[in-house]
Amino acid sequence: MSDRETVDFLAGVPLLEGQDEAGLVELARVMRRRTVREGEILWRQGDDAREVLFVVDGAVSILLEVPGNRTMEFGRVGRGQILGEIAVLDGEGHTTSVRVLETATVLALGRSDFAALLAGQHPTAFRLKRRLVALLTARLRNQLRHLAASLGGEGDGLPAEPAPALAGLEPCGPPDSRYVRRMATFHDFDSLALWGFLTSGKYVQCPPGRTLVAEGEPPAAYYLTINGAVEKVLVRSDRRIRVGLAGPGMAFGYESLIDGLPSPVAAVSRERALFLVLQRDVFDELFYKENAVSRVFLEAIQRDLLATLRRTLRPCARLAASL
Amino acid sequence: MCRILAYLGEPLPAQHLLFDTDNSLVRQSYSPRMMNTFLNLAGFGMKAWDPASLRPEDPFTYRVTTLPSFDRNLRFMASKLAPTCLVAHVRGVTYSGEGVVADTNLHPFQFVGTRVALAHNGHLRQFPSMRYSLVEHVEPALAQHIEGTTDSEWIYALILSQLDDPYGVPETRELADAIANALRILRRVRAAHGIDTSSPANICVSTGRAVVATRFSFDYGWYPPEDEMLETDLPFVSLWYAIGGEYTMRDGGWRMTVGDLPRSVIIASEPLTSDSSSWFEVPEYSMLTAELGPRGLEFETRDLDV
Repeated sequence: MSDRETVDFLAGVPLLEGQDEAGLVELARVMRRRTVREGEILWRQGDDAREVLFVVDGAVSILLEVPGNRTMEFGRVGRGQILGEIAVLDGEGHTTSVRVLETATVLALGRSDFAALLAGQHPTAFRLKRRLVALLTARLRNQLRHLAASLGGEGDGLPAEPAPALAGLEPCGPPDSRYVRRMATFHDFDSLALWGFLTSGKYVQCPPGRTLVAEGEPPAAYYLTINGAVEKVLVRSDRRIRVGLAGPGMAFGYESLIDGLPSPVAAVSRERALFLVLQRDVFDELFYKENAVSRVFLEAIQRDLLATLRRTLRPCARLAASL
Repeated sequence: MCRILAYLGEPLPAQHLLFDTDNSLVRQSYSPRMMNTFLNLAGFGMKAWDPASLRPEDPFTYRVTTLPSFDRNLRFMASKLAPTCLVAHVRGVTYSGEGVVADTNLHPFQFVGTRVALAHNGHLRQFPSMRYSLVEHVEPALAQHIEGTTDSEWIYALILSQLDDPYGVPETRELADAIANALRILRRVRAAHGIDTSSPANICVSTGRAVVATRFSFDYGWYPPEDEMLETDLPFVSLWYAIGGEYTMRDGGWRMTVGDLPRSVIIASEPLTSDSSSWFEVPEYSMLTAELGPRGLEFETRDLDV
């Protein structure tokens, strides 16, 4: 594969769409090409992550290892797709194992070079960050589809109209800023930009047991839990499974605002709760602008998606082991 | 905040649970993986039931306020003990003048003459203001046994007081109901005192034949301003379990063997290995029950709505 062919390949990778020619040439220069053979294990679940891989040709299988020495196939990845980004981004071990199905060519990009691509305030970095967030959202939907399929039965159906985001929620004042700064989600954010994000929406509270988002509902708002906790649940026939718990610093309801698809889960307050709510217009402004506040916002969404992806695997493992 | 461990199943050297794995309970005293800002240096305690021992219904008991990682006596004993049931605990207290490091505050608690032992990972916020409202819910004879200053010992006395016979061996179902009833009483007393901030109650109770554990918190996600425990509490206090045939080292890693029917279970605040792929996370707001029955280990998870 010549340097020119590598650049042409990268130009066709959906995640990198919009990168200029000079950027792609530079990227190609720091990537390493490898051929991996059928049956080879590229990494095991829990292994440290040193690089992301772009698949040039061939196919690999994504496997969740669950207790009882069993595996569950989560999907297959082929030309133009990326692997390993979750562990590279959050610095924890790989969430799944990867096995080569058909002998493949991959391009490896080291952790620091991948981080460099995402850094900075220039438009290319913002575009890449948004695509990455969309990719992580797609990964989350895929995991939730597997969970829902394990439950069997049908969802509760689509409501005709989206519920207004703030309907029935009691407005309240903002939380103590010192408290918010101590949340792990916001530790290392620039104070001014974080303040810009936290003052963009409205603060509301609700009692336990309130359905805030229905599964299958069209997009309505981004909710950030400040106090209390919200259960994310899937319901199929008479089976109900909690796929996550959004406590302080965790968000919910936003997947639909990113990809325009119906909400993949329902969200119900488990404790009395206080939220920051960003309605669609505010969400879009923060998501698509390219300034310091938007950078904090995109980073917060990315962190939330990474944590949610890891947590959603836990009920997947429980269900897979019980089948 | 603390770390807890319970084991029920085939005889297993205690050393494997306490020392041998790369995230063993003793390691969790000085390097817990799932607590960012807190260590568990205020003592170690253990109850271990061995059917081959003298008076097998009584557990072997060891509790010290020293650091378990430097405790040679503990290492020697752990290498000789192979219990079928074990409850162990490393204690953490706030880094302030209010924390009392004393042997009377060490878990697991077991009053003289009773058959139930308890270890607790969590804390009831504003406990001093609600403590004496619990008196009316605790059997006077049991209240007389309370020696220490912890909320955990009161929770223990409260649970015992919900049993038909606090000095007998309760059925697993009765023990589970007693824990749920005790949590309901605590919720009512908290409400009466206007206490509405996060108070984790990961409780582990055992009779030597059964283990009941909760992953639970009152008012999760609400904190008093400037609370120093906040950093530790923000994630829901963790609890995991591994279930299978026997816990053994195989292919370089510790894991449960796979069998037709489960025979052993480990319940722990954190997986005992850095590789958590052989562990299940206990869902938040739930209760686990495990019992050694005639057909092996009977195990159940259920939602805890109190």
